[in-house]
Amino acid sequence: MLQKTTSRGGAITVRSAGRTWELLYLLTLRDLKLRYQDTALGLLWSLMKPLMLGAVLFVALKRFVRIDVDDYHLVLLTALFPWVWFQTSVLLATPSFASNGALLKKVPFPRVVLPLATILNSGIHFVLSIPVLIIMLAVSGRHPDWTWIIGVPVLVVVQLGLLVGTLLLMASLDVFFRDLEHLTEVFLSLLFYMTPILYPLEVVPDAWEPIVLINPLSSMIEAWRDLFMNNQLPGLDLWPAVLFMLGSLLVGSQVFRRLEPAFADAL
Amino acid sequence: MRSDQPAILAEELSKRYFLHGGGAQELKAALLSLPSLLGSNGRARHDFWALRDISFSLRPGECLGLAGPNGSGKSTLLRVLAGISRPTSGRLVLNGRASALLELGAGFEPRVSGRENALLNAVLLGLSLSEARAALPKIIEFSELGEFIDEPMRTYSSGMLVRLGFSVAVHVRPEILLVDEVLAVGDAEFQRKCFDHMKKLRADGVTIVMASHDLPSLQRYTDRVLLLEHGQVVLEARPAEVIHAYLLRVFGEETAANPIMGIPR
Repeated sequence: MLQKTTSRGGAITVRSAGRTWELLYLLTLRDLKLRYQDTALGLLWSLMKPLMLGAVLFVALKRFVRIDVDDYHLVLLTALFPWVWFQTSVLLATPSFASNGALLKKVPFPRVVLPLATILNSGIHFVLSIPVLIIMLAVSGRHPDWTWIIGVPVLVVVQLGLLVGTLLLMASLDVFFRDLEHLTEVFLSLLFYMTPILYPLEVVPDAWEPIVLINPLSSMIEAWRDLFMNNQLPGLDLWPAVLFMLGSLLVGSQVFRRLEPAFADAL
Repeated sequence: MRSDQPAILAEELSKRYFLHGGGAQELKAALLSLPSLLGSNGRARHDFWALRDISFSLRPGECLGLAGPNGSGKSTLLRVLAGISRPTSGRLVLNGRASALLELGAGFEPRVSGRENALLNAVLLGLSLSEARAALPKIIEFSELGEFIDEPMRTYSSGMLVRLGFSVAVHVRPEILLVDEVLAVGDAEFQRKCFDHMKKLRADGVTIVMASHDLPSLQRYTDRVLLLEHGQVVLEARPAEVIHAYLLRVFGEETAANPIMGIPR
């Protein structure tokens, strides 16, 4: 195998793409095993977290505040499951370069696999939790149809792309500004209320709707909910999420490419 | 690989670090240092040249040693050669698959088994997944860990950890090998195994760059040695010559007369 590497005060080692995928596969597999290793309930935790959060929110908002939305438990859960994927990925992948300093300083390997493995890992937990949603929906007389076969992969790709782009940017910047980890925590709780998770988009007053829809997550969470609850395929309404996905992938990969050679020296 | 091409060609490699006011670790520090970065009369950034104008060329199959006191730039040079760290200026060409052993067992996860760690580590160090799977039985055999291989690595002693790390490293078959000190760990029997391995690699025509404080092993395994001091090459010569010069600098005339005996105990 011949590999020619030239660096003229610039480019860093270019490695084969095949090895990147294999490394990503092994890392994701390992993290999947690790996340709930030595816990009694194991994988069930990835179901329990959104379910328990959903139960608390349901009691508080439906029983106490008496929010006037039909099938409110489904409205909550169909948004909470994809949200938890998003939130866990952001929290765990933002420090993925900064917290692996020892490895980054000692081994040349495609660094991009570190945040990717974390995002994929949470994504797999999300996909594995979909059957639970199906059961919950079936209890209320809603059954998935063929639209899911197209809708789920489309929305998974959009959310995956959005996460990869955003987190390439955040994880790269986090190497130089560790404040970002704290900032994301604050920002995530803000985002939780600004995104139609606790409430469907239709209860948002018309005057406020543009503000909610600026948030690219809003259109994505709404698309998940429409698909899960009404078997409705994602349509043109998804454009803010798609636009943000493309933009973040472009910016994220460029920033990562520019900053990556300096990781080892900064850590 | 064409044999008329050098395996490694380094031309005036330099590496500069900023000691203060450089990469800000906090947003606050970055914002505070912004005015001084923009203004011409801000606090001066303190330059530190870890490497300065390092040039050398290595034929395929040659073994180059890096000697010098702590902080002379040996590890920085290896990091630059491995592509982990970017040179501030200069040109670097590597011909062939390079593998860097800067630390044994880097990236080992204590909560999973030795077997799984060995597989991931092999891919991390440069093997493809199928190559790593094929090499795994040999890696396990070489490590002599027996049934412990399927236990979580947190149960391993540090010696066992090093053993597995080294076994993986042995089975990664690079064309260019960059080694930092790692062979200087472990018990006597383990060291012998390491040295046997180095001999075998040399016989196989692997191009090697090794940094070491162990002067006898530099003498035994390298064809040429760069003596580094303050990031600069002060001498490039045959091992015996460099070791003599090095000891002369450290201990003065009389001890340097006999290089091997002159090593402090």
